[in-house]
Amino acid sequence: MAGKETDLARELESHRDYLVRFALFMLRDLALAEDAVQETFISALASHEEFQGRSQLRTWLTAILKNKVFDLVRSRSKGPPMVSSDDLQEDDGRDGAFGERGQWIDPPSNWGLPEEAFESSQFWETYLKCCKVMPERQALVFSMREVLGLSAEEICKKLELTTSNLHVILFRARQSLRTCMTKNWFGGEHG
Amino acid sequence: MGKLMYSCEQAARLSSRAMEEPLGPVDRTMLRLHLMMCANCTNFSRQIEFLRRASRKVPEAIDRGKT
Repeated sequence: MAGKETDLARELESHRDYLVRFALFMLRDLALAEDAVQETFISALASHEEFQGRSQLRTWLTAILKNKVFDLVRSRSKGPPMVSSDDLQEDDGRDGAFGERGQWIDPPSNWGLPEEAFESSQFWETYLKCCKVMPERQALVFSMREVLGLSAEEICKKLELTTSNLHVILFRARQSLRTCMTKNWFGGEHG
Repeated sequence: MGKLMYSCEQAARLSSRAMEEPLGPVDRTMLRLHLMMCANCTNFSRQIEFLRRASRKVPEAIDRGKT
């Protein structure tokens, strides 16, 4: 029994690097990311009977990690810095991307269908940099929705947001990301 | 263009919202009408859909060390 647990502990270690990088992407704070992974390992060791090779170990660990990330986010969002964030405010109806009559100031270009970009490490570098341009909370809501694929309802419940708040935050996040990607990826030699 | 048409800003916000929930019949029709006539908003809509496909691949990208 003890031997089995040591084996599992060793196997967990081999996933640490990936899990920390994933948590760091979500949390933007290395110490917090490492905490989340540590707690993931503790949960994994405590409930390893449940695992029993039902899925890939990494998939199982990632699922646990997501929950740890949410717990950390939720406890942090109770504090003042995240709650008072600008992007939590109700929509003022104005967006810098549009003119007075709601027309595009800098119209979106045709990106084509550049799925081959997914194979390029430069593409991902640009994508991750552009995510960091977003305010912290906006980036988090965006990744909960688009990276983790949580439903709007789940996100609202977890972060105590109204549906209209969520729509505003996601709209701004998408605007920010596509503007940054246009400038730094599609506008240049890759477009 | 008169009030009969949604503005680009309205259309873009609806395109974004439609990625979270189904739109009501009026909004859906008005958005479709706008997109038929507006290349800019069609580009916007395709861009945010592309970004969703990209975002779903972030864990893979991190896994391959492509960070």
